[in-house]
Amino acid sequence: MRKLKININNISKKFGDKIVLNRLDLKVFESESLAIIGESGSGKSVLTKCIDGLLSFDTGTISFDQIKNIKNLSFLQMNKYMSKFGILFQNAALFDSLTIKENLMFANKNDNFSEILNEVSLPKSILKEFPSNLSIGVQKRIGLARAILQDPEILILDEPTTGLDPIIGKQINILIKTLVKKKKITTITVTHDMESVYEFSDYTAFIKKGKISWYGRSKDINKNGNLSLKNFIKGIY
Amino acid sequence: MNIILKAGRIFFGIFSSVGEIVLFFFDCLKYSILDKFYPKIFLQHLIKIGYNSLPVVGLTSIFTGMVLALQSYTGFSRFSAESAIPNVVVLSITRELAPVLAGLMVAGRSGAAIAAEIGTMKVTEQIDALKTLSTNPYNYLFIPRILAGIVSLPFLVFVGDIIGVFGGYLICTKVLNFNPVVYLQNTYNFVQFLDVFSGLVKACVFGFIISLMGCYHGYNAKGGAQGVGLSTTYSVVSSSILILLTNYILTSFFFDL
Repeated sequence: MRKLKININNISKKFGDKIVLNRLDLKVFESESLAIIGESGSGKSVLTKCIDGLLSFDTGTISFDQIKNIKNLSFLQMNKYMSKFGILFQNAALFDSLTIKENLMFANKNDNFSEILNEVSLPKSILKEFPSNLSIGVQKRIGLARAILQDPEILILDEPTTGLDPIIGKQINILIKTLVKKKKITTITVTHDMESVYEFSDYTAFIKKGKISWYGRSKDINKNGNLSLKNFIKGIY
Repeated sequence: MNIILKAGRIFFGIFSSVGEIVLFFFDCLKYSILDKFYPKIFLQHLIKIGYNSLPVVGLTSIFTGMVLALQSYTGFSRFSAESAIPNVVVLSITRELAPVLAGLMVAGRSGAAIAAEIGTMKVTEQIDALKTLSTNPYNYLFIPRILAGIVSLPFLVFVGDIIGVFGGYLICTKVLNFNPVVYLQNTYNFVQFLDVFSGLVKACVFGFIISLMGCYHGYNAKGGAQGVGLSTTYSVVSSSILILLTNYILTSFFFDL
């Protein structure tokens, strides 16, 4: 029996005159891994930012467990709500004036980081480094470690393999799969890398023009009858 | 019609920006009471804004004091009023020049740095990351910087006062052959508590303006490198204009003009 975690109901979001999310509905279930795919600018990242509270939406509701609509939360309640999410940002978003240890301490002050560094396959010596001295692949591993250290209810991965070469991208995908399956965290992954979808997502939602155009099991994605999705997967425009 | 429309847009643009800045300040005030304070970050910025700006403020002050002494001598010597030079130097420096010039220099140095740092954090999603790591950006980024600006500017201006007066003393005694003891005595006799105090109050206000503008424009940076560059420019320009405007208002207030 799937347990509903997040219910997105009829949400819309505009930037100026541009409609990015258009009466979008989506459900996220506990301990499942959902991939959100779609063309660049289709509203994938905006949707996750509405879910985690980083962006406000214009109309509709987002409910999370017992919270009926996150839009009604006060600033301090919203801060508490946001801490339920661990986010790996597109460019890792490590604090570049701080060392890796100081970055990780934002997520958990009491950890000695040995275990988490081991999980993301990085040596402990990296703790003294500054983010600018590290490759983007290593930065993403640290970003993932920081997100998981928070012990989040939901893990959001915003284009985890963008900007990485295929080998490092594959390594990150395998790493995410191992961590997600081991910790059984509900995961939302924004990507246009189909490898990520096949590797670790249980369900997939395809966004087109601000709406969910297709939703289903990731293993069924190649059997779908949605022409836009077929073209997206094959890279036909 | 088009011109009226454009003028209206500019007017409302300015009006809404002022409103946003006021709301931003009230948010800072609110979270300074409601959420936690980061003393370590405050001390770091006290050093960055205050201590690290000493050389630039010192240089500005000493040359201003020297030029002021030279120019005053050129004018006053025409009607044998050279004895008024220490008075002119100390009053100009303590009341106006040290606070305004220190304010403008710090706006260019530290205000721009604040806007660039926060702007870069904004466009690279570091501020979003802070929020999801249960850290309120107002308390972690803005409040320590604003407080550091308010505290460090009076310190800089006080040092600038001493260095500026010393610049005038140097020119008058070494170039214009004034008696050093008489010069210092005249300086001491002319200067009053309110002259120095008004300069220090102005410094507090300027420090507040510089750091608030830096934080506000940095936080509202959009896009990439270009957006960060624009936020830096806006921060320096708006700080400079506000410093000159509030300087006039505070001078009128203190000296009842």
